[in-house]
Amino acid sequence: MTVSKKTLAGLGSAVALASMTLGAGVAMAQEGELRGNVRVVIGSTSTGGDTYQNSTIVVDKLAEHLDLNMKVDAVGASSAFRTLDRDSRGNTLMIFHDQSYLGYLYGVEGYENIFEKYTVGPTVAINPGNAYLVPKDSPYETLDDIIAAVGDGEEVRVAIQPGGVSEIGFSALKNAISIEHPGMEDNLVAVNTGSQADKNQQLFDDQADLINGTVQANEQYTRLPEDDQKAMRFVWLTARQGTIEQAPEDGLGQTTREQLLEYVEPNVHVTMGDDETFTFDKEFFFLYNKDMDPGIVEQIDEALTEIYAEGEIQEVQKNSFFIPNFKPSEEASEYLHEKMSRYEGIIENIK
Amino acid sequence: MEFLSLLDFTFFLLAAFGALVGIIFGAIPGMTATMAVAVCLPLTYALGLHHGLALLLGLYVGGISGGMVPAVLLNIPGTPSSITTTFDGYPMAQKGQGEKALRVSVIASVVGGLISAAVLFLFAPMLADFSIKFSYVEKFLIILLALSVIASLSSSMLVGIFSGVIGIWLSLIGDYSISDGGNGKTRLMFDFMEPYLFEGFSLLPVLIGIFGISTILLEAEKGVKSELSNERIQFGKGGGFSLSLFKGRLTNLVRSSFIGTFVGMLPGVGGSAASVLAYTQEKNLSKDSSQMGKGAPQGLIASESANNALTGGALIPLLSLGIPGDSTTAVLIGAFTLQGIQVGPLFIPENAETWYIMMTALVFANIVMFFLMFYAIKHIAKVVMVPKHILYPIIVMMCVVGAYAINYGIMFDVWTLLIFGILGYLVQKIGLEVAPLIIGFILGSQAEVYFVKSLESFGTFSIFFTKSPIAVVLWLLILASVAFSIVMSLKSRAKRRQELLS
Repeated sequence: MTVSKKTLAGLGSAVALASMTLGAGVAMAQEGELRGNVRVVIGSTSTGGDTYQNSTIVVDKLAEHLDLNMKVDAVGASSAFRTLDRDSRGNTLMIFHDQSYLGYLYGVEGYENIFEKYTVGPTVAINPGNAYLVPKDSPYETLDDIIAAVGDGEEVRVAIQPGGVSEIGFSALKNAISIEHPGMEDNLVAVNTGSQADKNQQLFDDQADLINGTVQANEQYTRLPEDDQKAMRFVWLTARQGTIEQAPEDGLGQTTREQLLEYVEPNVHVTMGDDETFTFDKEFFFLYNKDMDPGIVEQIDEALTEIYAEGEIQEVQKNSFFIPNFKPSEEASEYLHEKMSRYEGIIENIK
Repeated sequence: MEFLSLLDFTFFLLAAFGALVGIIFGAIPGMTATMAVAVCLPLTYALGLHHGLALLLGLYVGGISGGMVPAVLLNIPGTPSSITTTFDGYPMAQKGQGEKALRVSVIASVVGGLISAAVLFLFAPMLADFSIKFSYVEKFLIILLALSVIASLSSSMLVGIFSGVIGIWLSLIGDYSISDGGNGKTRLMFDFMEPYLFEGFSLLPVLIGIFGISTILLEAEKGVKSELSNERIQFGKGGGFSLSLFKGRLTNLVRSSFIGTFVGMLPGVGGSAASVLAYTQEKNLSKDSSQMGKGAPQGLIASESANNALTGGALIPLLSLGIPGDSTTAVLIGAFTLQGIQVGPLFIPENAETWYIMMTALVFANIVMFFLMFYAIKHIAKVVMVPKHILYPIIVMMCVVGAYAINYGIMFDVWTLLIFGILGYLVQKIGLEVAPLIIGFILGSQAEVYFVKSLESFGTFSIFFTKSPIAVVLWLLILASVAFSIVMSLKSRAKRRQELLS
């Protein structure tokens, strides 16, 4: 029997059509839910950093709860945003932190207004460790000393990574100086660097008087003897007092929670004007493609509500020095939007 | 010695398994040690810290070593740090000495790995203190020293420099970040390229494109006959290998191992600089370097001992400062973070057990790597026996998969692979040289960052000469390297002229 090309083509088309119909049927049956393999991209390229660590904790629990295959990929901010842009099916989700809107406020290329371009998902945790440090033998004992010195016309150099979480504390400090010592704020000079290693190196090289760091990365340096070139001292943690109070009593390393509380408000006061004190909690949250099915948003909200109700994830997060902070999507979006407006004011003030 | 009780059979099994998988990752073009460690990182959750570290360190050592296989046999550096291995390895493989080249490389690798492990064990905190003396200025000079090899790598000095400058120019494409002293805007591209080139060209696709794909294109041009890739290959009895190859090369071996360890411990200088620097120094300091680049075992010794010495070196700042020394240790730090362990200047005194465990895993992984590779070489080297019309499509496929996977699925990386494959082919056609171009590409952007940051920090050009005694020593080395290149270039020109006259 001979089979003509036309018959073959017809048969092929029929099979293709049938499989497509069947495929569509399967997809429709699962619409409004996460399905298949889910990739969670994060805004950091580091697998040693807090974003990866926290995302892994949350995603592992979520994958277990939903019985799905989920994987965290440390692709970095611009790649993560682009990957998220391309996938509205819900197979790509993103976890990032306040950098996602601070980058936009500071006008960093590659950042857009997340509240317009994406759906803001639930918050999951806070890293309370954002800190500022001086060399152990620094003449500045406290942050007040630094504010006073800058007010007196002394130049103080601060090593930060520009355009985001690392810069917001610097901006707030500059804003506070402009309120308390108008016209002197330019004496607070930013030394733009990249990684934590670079910021530390600036301090070792005596090229910076104050650096942005974290409790996690710098705590061991604060325990070195004063004659060690690498020795540092905390002068400010930007977190709210209430946030640090939720940390484990033992704190981190050999620095207890009590000791950490010495470096937060009200002990350290960075004014925003009108008796308001500046604080900054670095919060992690989900971001979704705007066109993703709202059913998936709901599904993740529900799953996380149940996971947090079980209480186990909080223990894991606290053991890794994160403060659990679950807020469902809608609440989180509103809260973060309000947070962004607050910092927008500071950044505008010092422009 | 309490840590001994923690060393069970599973520990050694995981380290050995890690080394084996690492070698496979390293040997596949486009897959790297970093990728191997990243893929297995989540396993450390289930395995626990010590078993997890055994696996990851095995992968690290294996991955770096495995890179030599495609470098020697196929002219594709399996990892960025094995570029210099291709310089002499591939010519040797073409002469039918692939097995010999691999054996030399394996021995150099294990010696480099063990020397760096010893340095790490004995001097880590002290060296970490020394490494922080290297500010932007000294790091710039180190990279400049590595770049100075460009001139001496090629047959004509001017062509070498020109190719190197093109490499540097290509490395600057992309976003000029404010953190790097730039303005946060993209450069050297049109607006429509921004979505693809925001972060510039990715290193690995460039590397395997310019080495691997272009080699295949050049071979394809000759016509694909169903012949064996290499009919003159020497197999059995070590393929012409004997330990006497190392005679008179001990200085090279030890020097290169120390260079590898040293560069590894400088955060931000990167792995590729280690083997390039070791290769340069061998070229400058050895009595006879005329055969280097044409298939000399001494080039392999320099390159492979240095790139394996990186492993111990890069762990120095990681474990003594909490700062990763290279891209793989940057992933490795995740194993500690995931377990909630702080890595910083007090890590070693506060986690003595973990420290000893790591050292054991590192040494054991090096030994396993040696035995696995040394005895498997005669089989591995047979890759070149596969007919080209079967071998090359497989390589291209692996390169494409590797390029696509390197940044977790970016299609433009596959285009980068092809663009640079064709560019590599054209570059060789018009008489430019690939090696200086790629070294310029790898080191160019770092050189710029450290140069600009030095000026930003210190505000004056004179700082490059006056910053510290280390800077002065580095300048002397740079001058010596440049002078050597000029002398060599003049000598070869005189020789050519003489040949023409006679």
